[in-house]
Amino acid sequence: MSDETTASAARATAGAIGHGTLVDPRGLSARTDRAGTTRPAVVRTLAFLRKLYGLVQRYFPQFLIAGIAFAILKVYANGGLTLMGAQIKNALVLGAIYALVAIGYTMVYGIIELINFAHGDVFTLSGFYAFVIAGLSGGAIGSLATHSGIGLLLALLIIFPTTMVAAGFTGVVIERVAYRRLRDAPRLAPLITAIGVSFLLEGLMLVIFGADNRPTKLSSWITGRAVRVAGVDVNWKDIFVVATALGLMFSLGAFVRITTLGKAMRATAQDRSASLLSGINVNRTISATFFIGSALAAAGAIVYSINYDLIQWNLGYQLGIIAFTAAVLGGIGNIVGAGVGGFIIGVISVFGGQLAGGEWSNSLVFAILVIILTFRPVGLFGVDVTTRA
Amino acid sequence: MTGTAAVLTGADAGSGMPVLELREVDVLYGRVQALRGVSLTVGAGEIVALIGSNGAGKTTTLRTISGLVRPSKGSILLRGQPIHTLGAEKIARLGVGHAPEGRRLFGRMTVRENLDMGAYSRKDRAGVRSDFERVYELFPRVKERSGQLAGSLSGGEQQMVAIGRAMMARPTVLLLDEPSLGLAPIVVENLFAVIREINQGGTTVLLIEQNALLALNTARRGYVLEVGEVATSGPSQELLRSPEVQRAYLGM
Amino acid sequence: MILTKRLLPVVGVMGIAALSACGTSSTSSSSSGGGGGNLASCQGTFTVATDLPLTGGDATDGPPVEKAAHLAVTQALANKTLGGCTLKYVSKDDATVLKNGHDPAQGAANITALSGDSSVVGVVGPFNSSVAVAEIPIASQNHLPLISPANTNPGLTQAGTSASIDTNSLYPGVHSYFRTIGTDITQGEILAYVATKELNFTKAYAIDDQETYGKGLSTFFQKSFTADGGTIVGTASLPGTTKQFQTQVADAQSKGAQVIFFGGTSGNGCGILRSQMPASIPELGGDGCQDNKFITDAASNAAGAQVTSAPDASKLPTATKFYSDFKSTYNEDGTESPYTPYGFDGMNALIQAIKAVLTANNGQPPTDPMTFRDSVAQQLHKLNYPGATGTVAFDKNGDTTQPGFSLYTINGTAWAPKQLLTADASGKVTVAS
Repeated sequence: MSDETTASAARATAGAIGHGTLVDPRGLSARTDRAGTTRPAVVRTLAFLRKLYGLVQRYFPQFLIAGIAFAILKVYANGGLTLMGAQIKNALVLGAIYALVAIGYTMVYGIIELINFAHGDVFTLSGFYAFVIAGLSGGAIGSLATHSGIGLLLALLIIFPTTMVAAGFTGVVIERVAYRRLRDAPRLAPLITAIGVSFLLEGLMLVIFGADNRPTKLSSWITGRAVRVAGVDVNWKDIFVVATALGLMFSLGAFVRITTLGKAMRATAQDRSASLLSGINVNRTISATFFIGSALAAAGAIVYSINYDLIQWNLGYQLGIIAFTAAVLGGIGNIVGAGVGGFIIGVISVFGGQLAGGEWSNSLVFAILVIILTFRPVGLFGVDVTTRA
Repeated sequence: MTGTAAVLTGADAGSGMPVLELREVDVLYGRVQALRGVSLTVGAGEIVALIGSNGAGKTTTLRTISGLVRPSKGSILLRGQPIHTLGAEKIARLGVGHAPEGRRLFGRMTVRENLDMGAYSRKDRAGVRSDFERVYELFPRVKERSGQLAGSLSGGEQQMVAIGRAMMARPTVLLLDEPSLGLAPIVVENLFAVIREINQGGTTVLLIEQNALLALNTARRGYVLEVGEVATSGPSQELLRSPEVQRAYLGM
Repeated sequence: MILTKRLLPVVGVMGIAALSACGTSSTSSSSSGGGGGNLASCQGTFTVATDLPLTGGDATDGPPVEKAAHLAVTQALANKTLGGCTLKYVSKDDATVLKNGHDPAQGAANITALSGDSSVVGVVGPFNSSVAVAEIPIASQNHLPLISPANTNPGLTQAGTSASIDTNSLYPGVHSYFRTIGTDITQGEILAYVATKELNFTKAYAIDDQETYGKGLSTFFQKSFTADGGTIVGTASLPGTTKQFQTQVADAQSKGAQVIFFGGTSGNGCGILRSQMPASIPELGGDGCQDNKFITDAASNAAGAQVTSAPDASKLPTATKFYSDFKSTYNEDGTESPYTPYGFDGMNALIQAIKAVLTANNGQPPTDPMTFRDSVAQQLHKLNYPGATGTVAFDKNGDTTQPGFSLYTINGTAWAPKQLLTADASGKVTVAS
């Protein structure tokens, strides 16, 4: 190939770049030039890599399960039954919270294909809602909760619905104000808007509640040990967190399966224009999705507060990304996947931290994110793309 | 009532006031004009066919009627009421059923749930139940498959579900976009028999077909679209005899 | 001439000494007489300053120390400690909104500004070691004495004791840095002493917050704990944003740890860790944990933590006068931060060194500001001053010769000092009170 033709090819590709591709024309033509001389080695390496890639892609769930099983057994071998049990308990508690937040990511992505970066901050904001509600009239709800069993039940029946509804409306307002106008815009526009909303919420919380973490005082609501299994103290708190998460997830599962609105949400997620043709109020359905996703994040924030007794303006930033990883792991758009993904990420985070050192647990979680996106973008339970019409 | 005029246009087609009327409708996709001054009427109880080559604007016409595409000019009337400013879901609720191009079923939902979604806006439970029965009667295969995921059905079955879903809203006008596409001849024959049956049950039908012969044999009247404009229209038999239509669409 | 000499002190006290901005170059007469007489003839106004975090997240740390240092200046002026010369006091804030507290960049800017003012002869500050790293090189090049009332990072003065600080590069000019508080080496020794000798523990688990202070303290603790016959059964190094410590707690329990040590600050999880630990295992920590945030974060589990922090001078007989003066001046107890009297002693050490320079120079300030600053630093090295916190004296590195830390426990809803411990140069710990 003469220099002249290379140059014109480069110009032609450069023209294509103007239309949105991100390929470096020089790199491309250079590779074509040398292909003749380097082919055998390249082909061999590529073939091997492709084979490896295919293998990992195909058996991804098996690899993941084997890795997790290995980690759990390794912890058992190192520290015995008590350590393994304690870490399984920790993983379940953490996973329950991730799962509740992950569902919001997955529902919103499922219905409008938006990674709602503000979702983690809705989680944080909900924690502050709970903080404010629990502190109303001198912490009356808190005194109620610690007064007696019935009092606790009443307090929970107050704090969960109020916080969840407040968070739900927050989600609805965010969608209405920031995302709805951009629904048919190029994907990048709402994505950047979501990051903006995230910063806005964080800034607001920073200004209103300060930089420091605030104890929510919810941890005193549920106290005491429920049972001791193999030397592991399982507290009522732990049971409450996991039971609440599972309860809400099963309720959500039933909701989308059985109710008309739930079905409309699934229908809208699958085909928005067919939903319109069926007379489904798509705007209202999307609002409902944001409402439910945010309300579940609020439930996550409450159980987080009950377990960890704190809330801080930037808490949802990292937790949100971890929960997002859980949603991707489960197959983004897949509600059951997000729930299972949350628990798996909890296990990876805790057992990875135990084996590799706590400083690595987040790195491991994000390594998983990279691996999924590389090998299995549809996640563990990914939706079959061909059925998406 | 049989058409006597050579070319039937406007309100005098069909009996009394037309159920659906398009007046001088323009549609723009960006800078591309997809429809240019399209006017057509569908009378109560009619089957009207819309034929034309690929890209002539047939699907756009249906999408414009349903509100998925907004006309830049002109008006669309349903039973005399303008609907072209309403949202798609409102138009659906007013009685426009649309089995869209490519079926567009909710593939990860069961057949039953798909039909459920068709009746989404309806409150009369008894009526919905009887319409379920009616759809199952029209399409016994759909009844057999009611628990299966819609995405797992064959093309013909999917088309039946798409029509069934549109019927669940008990529409006044049913818009059918290429129901025969990709189906075996025997299946097409059955399907069109059912379409006629639906029409005889009182539902007005506006039908798009690539297969012009089939369309015109089914419909009472037809419109021919060419590059976004109505080229000609009239009773089916006349169109079938027209040399232009024969050459362009019937391959004679 | 004689008349002028007699009048000058009066002029100085009246504060019109601003007239003598060039008074530092006053031609000293050959008049003889006692030292006091020398000082009485002193002409000039010098500036002493503080550089402390006063706003944002550090608003509980800096202000009382600043007040204590200011009090020292006020008292010196009232007592005419410098005879005819007078002192100007400047307070700088090294906290920024951006960092919500101490900001090394702001500290560096403050010291640059103070260095450029030839009337400034010494500064009390900074509070935070990270700020000190930014400030010391500037002070060193400008020969400006810095006396920190709170820096505990040993790397600031002793090479090879901190992974993140290159000690030698901190002093491109002269060594003009001093501190009235002990280093984390001493703190680690004392914490290990408490763990092994007082609590009789042999197995400890150490967590740090990945920051210079926390990582360093954890290292010194581990070293001393091992030297004292204990075993470190496990370690973890977690970022300051960590909110969940259960994994590490479970790990520590399974390894039979009798105590969990946290090297870090409350802001980086010291109290949060406590809230997630079983009450039966105590937590040990350093001065970074000894604040109200720890108590709030640890909530119902706050008891059972033992931390070392600045030696509690409030019970020392030498400090009685300081606390009563502080109370009468500011109507505050001055006890909420243990560093408060160290700010007072730091400023007094500076004033005493200035006095010594003046006395050695026939009651007059050296004409060259750099010479003046150098002389102040030299006098600080020689100083042996009975301060509120005990004898104030510095070794060749500028470190205090009597490093001590108090052990604090939570008594009800507040930290209460339990005992004062000191360590000697060999690392031998003794209970002082």
